[in-house]
Amino acid sequence: MLSELLQGTDTGAVLIIQDSCSYSGQHLLKSFISAALNKEEAVHVLGFDVSEEELKDGLTASTQRLHFHSAYTDPLGWTNRTAFTVHQFCVEELTHLLKQTSHPKPVTLVIDSLSWILRHVSPPAVCKTLQQLKKGGAVRAVIGLLHADMHQRGTVGSVCHLATSVITVAPGTKGDEAVAKITKRSKSGKVMQDEEIFSIKGDFSVTVVSKTSHAGHRQTEPEEHQTDPTANLTFNIRLSDTEREAKEKLALPFVFSKEKKTALLQSGPGSGRILYEPDANDDYDQEDPDDDLDV
Amino acid sequence: MAAPVSSVGKPSAERPPFSSTSFQKKTRSKLISIPGTRPSVQNGQLLVSTGVTSLDYLLGGGLAVGTVLLIEEDRFDSYSRMILKYFLAEGVVCRHELFVASAQDNPDDILQELPAPILDDVAIHKPVEQPRLSCEPQDNLDAMKIAWRYQNLPKVQSALASSSRFGHYYDVSKTMEPEIRQAAKCHRFYLPEHPTQSSTTHSRMIESYSALLKSLQEVIHREGFDLSTPMSMSRNILRVGLHSLGSALWNDDLSCHDDPMHSHALTTFLYGLRALLRSSLSVAVVTVPSHLIQDQALMGNITRLCDNAIALESFKGSERETNPLYKDYHGLLHVRQVPHLNCLASQLPDHKDLAFKLKRKQFSIERLHLPPDLSETVSRVSRGELAGAAAVASACGSGTSGNKHLDF
Repeated sequence: MLSELLQGTDTGAVLIIQDSCSYSGQHLLKSFISAALNKEEAVHVLGFDVSEEELKDGLTASTQRLHFHSAYTDPLGWTNRTAFTVHQFCVEELTHLLKQTSHPKPVTLVIDSLSWILRHVSPPAVCKTLQQLKKGGAVRAVIGLLHADMHQRGTVGSVCHLATSVITVAPGTKGDEAVAKITKRSKSGKVMQDEEIFSIKGDFSVTVVSKTSHAGHRQTEPEEHQTDPTANLTFNIRLSDTEREAKEKLALPFVFSKEKKTALLQSGPGSGRILYEPDANDDYDQEDPDDDLDV
Repeated sequence: MAAPVSSVGKPSAERPPFSSTSFQKKTRSKLISIPGTRPSVQNGQLLVSTGVTSLDYLLGGGLAVGTVLLIEEDRFDSYSRMILKYFLAEGVVCRHELFVASAQDNPDDILQELPAPILDDVAIHKPVEQPRLSCEPQDNLDAMKIAWRYQNLPKVQSALASSSRFGHYYDVSKTMEPEIRQAAKCHRFYLPEHPTQSSTTHSRMIESYSALLKSLQEVIHREGFDLSTPMSMSRNILRVGLHSLGSALWNDDLSCHDDPMHSHALTTFLYGLRALLRSSLSVAVVTVPSHLIQDQALMGNITRLCDNAIALESFKGSERETNPLYKDYHGLLHVRQVPHLNCLASQLPDHKDLAFKLKRKQFSIERLHLPPDLSETVSRVSRGELAGAAAVASACGSGTSGNKHLDF
């Protein structure tokens, strides 16, 4: 499913790459940038975590369509000379920023990283901006890196609740392999989940090594050795065909056939009936017991 | 003693033919009759259907007018959204008015996704294969014969259902026809379309919530859902659906922080909502992403402020998805609170372990019970019985725990 996401073409997608200090999602983010560049898309990067040189380092695809809005040197705008500050993270400013370089091509917005923004902007405002970016036509897709261990669980949950896809990366068991837990929500509301082991090469191409599906995870229980209890019996437990026939013929007590049951339950033409003639000596209650009813 | 005789004789002469009875149930004439409502059998409260028949049963017949149903969302908000859509679709079919509020999706999008009603659904509510057990011809010789006294017992019906029909069934694979949908009057509240001033004039209330409350209040007054308006005019029910309250998109930091700044915003709103609903002919369903709310005490407060509260726990993505016990279901349903309306003690659901599944034509809530385990590897005491029963139809009493010998 990881390669599917790299090729992703649906508009209005918000993809969050969740990492922690044990494994950095920076490489996977660069893979997504490189994949988007290879698809002839314009990529705008809001850079907080790494400098422009570091981000572009190793990207083989032409970096003409890569626009880096640097907030690396001065994220809070203290010197008034930076291209982008944290406080500009709202829809109006972002659409203005994206319009500066007019492209007919669909735009992918890469946020590196959301953690920086969440430190300085209130989470509801960030969520609102992400939701508006998802709805609005300015960008085709938003890809954000989120250092999940830097925030409270509720904040991470709220941001991921909005995302259409969440990739949680964790270190793998050997070498340069890593495990990605992917949750993808389709537009119809269907949720797909998958777990894949992947490795990233030097040119930031992702190869999916194997899938660790849930079925594989579950260990097959060791087959218990079943002894047949009917093996060495001192009596005969099987039935021959004639014996079985005889058994089927036998009517068990209290088991009624359908005919017999209906015959018993339905009254025939000559059956009894209760006839009652009121007698003078009847003890009759003059009070109407049903006078509370609207009869 | 002549009088009793004549009085006995008189009604027998006047007795109408047997086909029709003169008995009529005494009804309270003061109850207003509105299509799509019925009085509760327990306390006479006016009820509306939630659109999910088994949920109605669980809530004691339906949702009482003037109350709030809180739904704690499942993790991906798929089933809670479904129930909200059922609730709104039921309103469209019963020609109630709707009020839909959302911060995430446009209310129009939610309305477009409403499931199609199955209006000629007579065949749906047939009794569940009850007579099959007793009078099915023995087509299969290996079919197990069970003891005669158990043979005629009705099959355990795990789906919750009441005997009388209330509410409709819906086909989730289709959406409602636009003609039906547009016939219903619908009020929309989409938060991004309501610019909220950043000035914090209210200390306890977030602007978005107060805007929502004001908008709802205006609809209730303008459209005459108020109980204070004269009774002479024809009345209708307003169904209020509020989607994902408390999420970050309502500018609420309730679900973001462990110690939220606006911790009283949602509870204040719910007090206002409750006061508004109690004095009007309206009923609300509120969904809250409770899995994001870290403060359990706060969640308890929110639950207390609603009359009914249920929580959905989807198996999607949890390890329960592969658990064989839950393989027939899509999730668990917890009843957090049942309404206490004009009484001290309320009727509790008779069963606490409930599970739901979403079928194409029905969202059904069922009692969770273990299915009969017929697999070979089952760890039960008497293995011999199992093998014997599989081989021959006869039951060989109780087997033994050991496998050396059988004893009878």
